[in-house]
Amino acid sequence: MFLTNIAYASEESHSAIQVVFSIGPVEITSEIITMWAVMLLVTIVCYLGTRNLKRIPSGLQNVLEYGVSTLQSFFADLMGEKRAKQFLPMLMTFFILILCSNYSGVLPLAGEHIPGYKPPTSNVSVTAGFAIVVFFSVIIFGIKAKGLGYFKHFVEPIVILLPINILEQFTRPLSLALRLYGSVYGEEMVVASLASLIPLFLPIPMQVLGLLFGAIQAFVFTLLAAMYIEEATAVHH
Amino acid sequence: MELHVSTIIISMINFLVLVFLLKKFLYGPICGMLDARKEEVVNNLNQAEEAKNEAQKLKEDYQAQIKDAKNEAQEIINKATQIGEQTKNEIVAEAREEAAKLTKKAQEEISREKSEALNELRSEVANLAVLAAGKIVGKSIDVKDHENMVNNFVKEVGEAK
Repeated sequence: MFLTNIAYASEESHSAIQVVFSIGPVEITSEIITMWAVMLLVTIVCYLGTRNLKRIPSGLQNVLEYGVSTLQSFFADLMGEKRAKQFLPMLMTFFILILCSNYSGVLPLAGEHIPGYKPPTSNVSVTAGFAIVVFFSVIIFGIKAKGLGYFKHFVEPIVILLPINILEQFTRPLSLALRLYGSVYGEEMVVASLASLIPLFLPIPMQVLGLLFGAIQAFVFTLLAAMYIEEATAVHH
Repeated sequence: MELHVSTIIISMINFLVLVFLLKKFLYGPICGMLDARKEEVVNNLNQAEEAKNEAQKLKEDYQAQIKDAKNEAQEIINKATQIGEQTKNEIVAEAREEAAKLTKKAQEEISREKSEALNELRSEVANLAVLAAGKIVGKSIDVKDHENMVNNFVKEVGEAK
């Protein structure tokens, strides 16, 4: 009874949308502000790492080069060298942005209510925004690669599957958005509940798991996006 | 769980902005650097291969030159040996000839001296004999007898010797 009450109470306060300020009709929520902070941080790190590129890399440049080349070769295995290079910026940005957003929830203060600080991916609107980007990029890249032939796969292998194929196009982003949101939000809820019971030490195991889940979810989202794009742009001979 | 339209739209815009920023600050420079390094490695490998081939060629050249030089040296040695042998033979022959000539000359000298000495001795003995005979016999004998006697005497002496 006591536990459920606490969990329920914290869930209510967390799921509420906190509008920090609004510019005209545009309402800026805590998630957006946190995402801007994450973006700023990522950009600064990348700027510092690539500001003074050296032939023989060291320090931050080494880390960034390792990350880029690892992901690039991973995508190259999935979709070939050429397309990996083409889609790397988008896919790697997904990975970095989601990973850093997830990890922003692992910081100790994330469970508290600080206006303007909330892990972006714990909000379904943010993950829906990402999923919509994937949805449109699959269609745009598909048409770019195959022209109108892209729509042919909707009636394959037989015409009768057309409704299901169309439905699939919408369930994919839906599952992308909900999976990411559910994982991060759930993890955050558990941490918040545990922290409200015993703030010291008790949430730590869950936060450690959160590190793992954060990486896995970022990877899964990126991998699925890459597979959808690969499928849409694959030219069959 | 409710959808918030402006959050959705701003998230999408944020994502696209970050794609742009990272293209500028991460993928662009890093991929450029990776490509440049790859190219450099390929170039270096090619250059190394070229240098290796060149070195191989030079080595073959030098080996051929060394072989030529060795042959030439051998030839020179052979020639020198031949010349030395020839010169030696010549010198030895000359020396032999010289020696033979000297020997012959010496022998001639000896035989001449010998016959000279003999003649001298002969006339001396004859004179002495004449003188002695004249004293002993007390009478003179003519020159012809005298000569005959001396000759006989000498002959006898020579035979008795």
